[in-house]
Amino acid sequence: MDVVLDGIVQAFWLLARADSEVVRVTLLSLAVSATATLLSVAIGVPLGAFLAMGRLRGRQGVISLVNTGMAFPPVIVGLVVTVLLWRSGPLGFFHMLYTPWAMVLAQFILSLPIITGISMAAIQQVDPKLRLQLAALGASRLQTFWVLVRETRLPLMAAVMAGFGAVISEVGASMMVGGNILGETRVLTTAIVMETGKGNFAVAMALSVVLMAMVYVVNAYLTFVQQRGRLR
Amino acid sequence: MRKVTLAVSLFLGLITALSACAAPSPSTQTRAPAIPEVILATTTSTQDSGLLDVLLPLFTQETGYKVKPIAVGSGQALALGERGEADVLLAHAPDAEARFMSAGHGTERRLVMHNDFVLVGPQDDPAGAKGPSNAPSALARVAQTQSVFTSRGDNSGTHELEKKLWKQAGIAPSGKPWYQETGQGMGATLNIASEKKGYTLTDRATYLANRQILDLSILLEGDPSLYNVYHVILVDARKSSRINAEGARAFADFLVSQKTQSVIGSFGKERFGQALFVPDAGKADPSSVALK
Amino acid sequence: MTLLRAFAQRAVDSAPQETPPAVAVRGLVFQRGKQTVVKVDTLDIRRNDVLAIVGPNGAGKTTLLLCLALLLVPTAGTIAFDGVRAKDMLRQRRRMAVVFQDPLLIDMSVQENIALGLRFRGLDRQTITQRTGYWLERFGIAQLAHRRARELSRGEAQRVSLARAFVTQPEILFLDEPFTNLDGPTHRALIDSLAAVLAETGVTTVIISHDLKDVLHLASKVAVMISGAIRQLGRPRDVFAYPLRDDVQAFLVAHRTGGGLAAP
Repeated sequence: MDVVLDGIVQAFWLLARADSEVVRVTLLSLAVSATATLLSVAIGVPLGAFLAMGRLRGRQGVISLVNTGMAFPPVIVGLVVTVLLWRSGPLGFFHMLYTPWAMVLAQFILSLPIITGISMAAIQQVDPKLRLQLAALGASRLQTFWVLVRETRLPLMAAVMAGFGAVISEVGASMMVGGNILGETRVLTTAIVMETGKGNFAVAMALSVVLMAMVYVVNAYLTFVQQRGRLR
Repeated sequence: MRKVTLAVSLFLGLITALSACAAPSPSTQTRAPAIPEVILATTTSTQDSGLLDVLLPLFTQETGYKVKPIAVGSGQALALGERGEADVLLAHAPDAEARFMSAGHGTERRLVMHNDFVLVGPQDDPAGAKGPSNAPSALARVAQTQSVFTSRGDNSGTHELEKKLWKQAGIAPSGKPWYQETGQGMGATLNIASEKKGYTLTDRATYLANRQILDLSILLEGDPSLYNVYHVILVDARKSSRINAEGARAFADFLVSQKTQSVIGSFGKERFGQALFVPDAGKADPSSVALK
Repeated sequence: MTLLRAFAQRAVDSAPQETPPAVAVRGLVFQRGKQTVVKVDTLDIRRNDVLAIVGPNGAGKTTLLLCLALLLVPTAGTIAFDGVRAKDMLRQRRRMAVVFQDPLLIDMSVQENIALGLRFRGLDRQTITQRTGYWLERFGIAQLAHRRARELSRGEAQRVSLARAFVTQPEILFLDEPFTNLDGPTHRALIDSLAAVLAETGVTTVIISHDLKDVLHLASKVAVMISGAIRQLGRPRDVFAYPLRDDVQAFLVAHRTGGGLAAP
C-alpha cells in the first residue's frame, strides 16, 4: 500500500514541476490516442450508419465481424500490424514501424470496430418511420445521415468514449509497434510497463496516476458535451 | 457546422504534432549521414541498466546517426536480426549468437563488454547457497532444499545462462513446485523472489538498482560461469536493401572505441559506488572461457 | 361491368384531356414476398384534384401512397409526373410532401422542424425565415416556435407536421390518415384548417382516410381500395350513393353505421 501512496505523492511532484519527460510522454499518449479515435469516428460512424440503414449483401456477416472486432485482443493487432509494417512486410515501404504513426494505426484498428458497432446499434434504434419521414422531406442520403447522427448523439458520444478509453489504456500493441523508444514512441502505458519491469514501482504508480487523471479529464469533457445535448 | 470545423482543426493540429514527434530532431553537427536511422535490437536488461541512455546520445552527437533501440527478449532480438528488421544487435546470449553467426545471418561479431550475474537470496540463506564456490553447486543446494527459486522463464539472455547452469548442475527444475517461472523482466522477478523469500539469478545492475526495496542479499558472485558477455553483431546487409549497413558499422566501431569503452567502464560508479560493466574490447573473450 | 366503369369514369372526367395528369400510374404492382399487396392498373390524378383513398385495413392503401410518393420502389409498373417518368428520385421527392399519421418530429425546436425541408433544399436563410413564419401563423402555432418539438401534444405536433409539409410549397401533397389518432374537437379543427389551405393553394392532394365524413368534406375524388386494387373511383357523393360492387358496398355499409352518412 505504501507503494500506492508513494506513487501518488510522486505523481503530484512530477506534475508540479512539470517534469519534461512526463509531459512529453503524456502529450504523446493523448495525441496518438486522440488521433486514432478521431479517425475511427470519421470512418466508423458513417460505416455504422451504412450498416444500420443499408441493404448490403452479406450484411449479417459484416456485422458479426464488427461485433467480434470489438473484443479483439490488442496484442494480436499489435503482432499483425508489426508483421505488416516490417521492412520485409507488405507495407514496409512506409517506414512506419517504431514511429507514433504505427501506434495510431494499431489503435485505429482497435477502436474502429467499437465505434462502428455502437454507432450501428444506436442508429438501428431509430424509428425506421423517421427515416421514411426524412426521405419524404427531401433529404439526400448525406442529409439523412447528419440528422440521424444528431438524433443519436447520446449513444454516439458513448461510442467515442468507449473507443478512446480502449486505446488510451492499451499497452500490448503500442509496445510492439512503437518500441517504447525514449522521446519518440514512449507513451504512458508503455512507460508504466517498463518502469514496473525495472522494479521502479513508485514511478510506475506515479505515471499511472497521471494516466488516470488525463483519462478522467478527457471523459469529463466528453460527458459534458454528451449531457449538454439533453438540456436543450 | 462550427463544431465540425473545430474538430477538423483539432485533428489537423494533432497530426502536425505527431509528425513533429516522428521526424528526427535536427542533428547538432555538420555532417549528416545519408540514412540517419539505425535500428538496434537489444535486450530489456540492457535497456534497464541505463547504459544505453548514456551511450546513444553520445553516438548521435559524434556521428549524427540516430539509434532506435528496440528492447525485447534475446530470442526476439536475434529473430529480428534474422529477418533483417534490425541493422545491428547488442546481445548477451553467446550460444544463441554462435548459432546465429554460423547460420550466416551476421557478418561480424565483436566483443564489447561484460557484466556479471549474482545469485541472490534471503539473508538467512536457508538453503546454504553461500557455501559453494561455483554457481552450479549453489543451485544444487537450492534444489536439494526445495527452496523457492524464481526464474525469468522468458528465453532472455539471463534465462539462457540460468538454464545452462542448471544443466551443469545436472538438475531439471522445470515443473517443480519450488521453481517459479515469472515470464517477466528482471525487476519483477527480483521482487517476486523477495516477496517469497526465495532465490534467483540476476544481473548485478538490476539488483543494485533495486537494492533498497528488496529483501535479498548477494550470496554468490565472481564465478566466471556467471559472466554475462555482450557482443555487437552486424546483420548481414544482403538480407534487405533497407538495412543501414554503414550506420550499423558506425555503431559497432563506436562501441569498441577507446573513448566509449572508458565511458562503459565508469558507468554506475556514481550511482552505485561500483562499476556495472567491464569493458572488454580487444581482450580475450570471456564467454569462450565460460562455455567450457 | 367494364362498360359501367367506363361510363362512371367519363362522367367524372369532364375536364379536357390536353395537359398530362399530375400523377399517372400504369401497371403498378407491389409484392411482399409471395403476397401481392398492391395491383393498380391505371390511376390518373389530375392537377388540383384532392383524391381520397379509402378501404378496409390491409387493403394496401399506405403501400400505394408510399409508392406514389417515391418512398417505396414498386415491384413493377410506372409512375409518371406531369407526363414524365422521374429519373432523379430525390429531385421529384423534393417537389412533393408527405404527412404521416405519426408526426415524427426531430429533437429540435418547432421552428427548426418546420424549416428542415427547406434546409434540405438549400434555400437561403431569409426565405426560410419568411416561409416558416407564415406557416407557423397559418396553422396557429406561432407561439410554439421555440418550444422543443418533442414536448408538444398530439394535436400541436400534427399542426407542425402540416406546416412542415406546406412550407416546401409541394406540387403534390400526400397525407396518410393524418387525423386518425386525434380527439374529436382537434380532429374537426384540423380538418377545417386543412380544407381551407387546400382550397387556397389548390395543391394536388392524395389523402388516406378512415373517416368518410372527412372525405365528403375535403375530396374531389375518392378511390375505394380493397385487397390491393382500386374497385371504384369517382366523386365521393356518387361512389357512396352508388356502390358498383358487392365488396365496395359491404365496406361502405360497415362504415356507414359509424359515420352517420346521409344519403344524397
